[in-house]
Amino acid sequence: MFTNSQIDITTLPKLEDLKLEPISPKYFTIIIINVLVTYLSFIGALVVLKYFIEDDDGFHSVFWYIIVVLILASISQMIIYKLGFKKRKYALREKDIIYSSGYIVNNTTTLPLNRIQHLEITRSFMARRLGLATLKIYSAGESGGDIAIKGLPNAIAEKQYAHLTSVLNDRV
Amino acid sequence: MTAFNFETPSRQSAKGIIVNLGVSTYRFIRGTIIIIGAFFIQYIRSDKVYDFTTPKVIIPAIGFIVFMIVLSILRYRNFKFHVTTEHFVLKQGVFNKEEISVAKSKIQNVLIKQNVLQQIINVVSLAIETAGDEKTEIEITALPREKANALKETLLSHQNIERQEIEIETEVFFKASTKLLVLEGITENHLKSFVVIFAFIVGTYRDLKDFIENLNISNQIKSNFNLDDESLMSLLLFNVSIVIVILILAFLYSLTKTVIQNFNLVVKQKKDDLEISKGLFNKINIGLIASRLQTTTLTTNRFKRALGLYQLKFTQAMMNKKQQLKFNIIGLNKIKVDELLERFYPKALPLVENHKPNSYIIYRVIIISLIPLLIINGFLIFAPPYLYLINVPIVALLAYNTYFTYKKLYYSIDDKYVVVGGGALINTTTSFLEISKIQAVTLTQSIFQRRRGLATVEMHSASKDLNIPHIDMTTALNIKNYLLYKIESEDKDWM
Repeated sequence: MFTNSQIDITTLPKLEDLKLEPISPKYFTIIIINVLVTYLSFIGALVVLKYFIEDDDGFHSVFWYIIVVLILASISQMIIYKLGFKKRKYALREKDIIYSSGYIVNNTTTLPLNRIQHLEITRSFMARRLGLATLKIYSAGESGGDIAIKGLPNAIAEKQYAHLTSVLNDRV
Repeated sequence: MTAFNFETPSRQSAKGIIVNLGVSTYRFIRGTIIIIGAFFIQYIRSDKVYDFTTPKVIIPAIGFIVFMIVLSILRYRNFKFHVTTEHFVLKQGVFNKEEISVAKSKIQNVLIKQNVLQQIINVVSLAIETAGDEKTEIEITALPREKANALKETLLSHQNIERQEIEIETEVFFKASTKLLVLEGITENHLKSFVVIFAFIVGTYRDLKDFIENLNISNQIKSNFNLDDESLMSLLLFNVSIVIVILILAFLYSLTKTVIQNFNLVVKQKKDDLEISKGLFNKINIGLIASRLQTTTLTTNRFKRALGLYQLKFTQAMMNKKQQLKFNIIGLNKIKVDELLERFYPKALPLVENHKPNSYIIYRVIIISLIPLLIINGFLIFAPPYLYLINVPIVALLAYNTYFTYKKLYYSIDDKYVVVGGGALINTTTSFLEISKIQAVTLTQSIFQRRRGLATVEMHSASKDLNIPHIDMTTALNIKNYLLYKIESEDKDWM
């Protein structure tokens, strides 16, 4: 029989009551290393450039300013990442998966399990050392709508992956 | 079923050689235009007269042309396709052999196109789009039109077997006359073209300067350039006349663009689906399949609405960006618009209840408006004081813009659709999205929004996102909970 009763919004499952799980604290090491590698390669390139460029065009006079700006930028970026690290959280519900991140702009994406297209686990060089993994969950969303939970401990990532795969298989 | 047999491997029309040649010549020219141009300029600059009729030049040139022709023939000889019960198979490649096989069920869309060369030799090209993978681009460049249509039917036959019967019911839903297209072109938002042409002129400024110097106009300007009040006035006049010229160019540009792109626009209806064909030089033929429809945006502006002109923009799943852009029907009147909206979004209109986002958006628009204002005033620092009066109309314009941006913004959610209205001073848009087509929902909150307890709801579909900006956090959470409940409990297919 077809029914169409009114839905009481207050009785719906609430996102705000959910307790989100933090990711592994070890992942912060990877973030710091990534920031350092990016900025150090920049600074390195500038130092090499300094040897090749002659002091005609005033490059040498601004050289130290650029270095200072780069160092300040890297420090402020690390502070923002530190503040935002607490915001990197995820949760798995019966029917969807939630990932939240970002300090300046906080994004909380919820992907219903019946919209998952495929799953992926990736491990970068550093993540392998620390026993971490990234769980990527793809929907058919064209711009956004995909979730990448970075810095999950290997065991949890595998478990989530197995669980989601079984959900996917049950669906068909 | 059809007069054509697609089960045995066949080649395209022999005219394909000409198309192949055309395509490779075009690619060659496009790839080497800079080098050729550079050589040509070098040649003109140097006063040497080089004899082009020596064998040293002619033999390689002929060799090259023969090579291109042979390559086109080989490419044609090695290009074979056939359709099995479940797959479309294409074998191609002269040196690197390639065999592509696409399951019929994975075929998303079959496009029939015709460029200028193809129009001259009376063939069409047929492109097959598949789900997901953007790299597999399959195109048969030279087919007689009847054969292409037959192949399209064969390829899409699995999608609904009843299609053959419905075929008869194809009827013209809408046809845009050239007069209508001209009206559309005149009422376009010319500011957009203005920016394009302005950027182009700034980009080619150096060349333009040379050109003007050749015309000896600059000498006249330079002689007036003794910065007294009078010459400043004439400089100002010069700039104003440049702006007017660009405005006229922008007007003509958007007018011709609209007419050429939409020339002979015909919308046919086939059961639930639509078929759109348009274009003067590049005829395109796109099918709009109802089940694949994602977002629909109704656009109009002040001038168009006065003339009763509306535009519908559709986005489909698994389409690349280029086609999404072309996917619109212009020149519709209110009745046709309502008919189409009712077809794809039954009972979506009239809206049950409109909600307004937070007035925080007003602050945001004001802050964004300050940027052009500051830039303009930056230029005015050195100008005589009376020029500051230019701020009066600009501020009024920005104020109106802010007012209408807020006024036109609303959202509405019922048990099937999300509707978001927006626009600015001139444009008005209304976007529709079916809740069951939403892929994921994101709540975003910037630090400025956090202070005010606001958030933005982003609804991701398989082609375009729809946003409800700047609403109270509790409302945003309620909306998100509700949308997720709908998606997860109904378990409706999104495609």
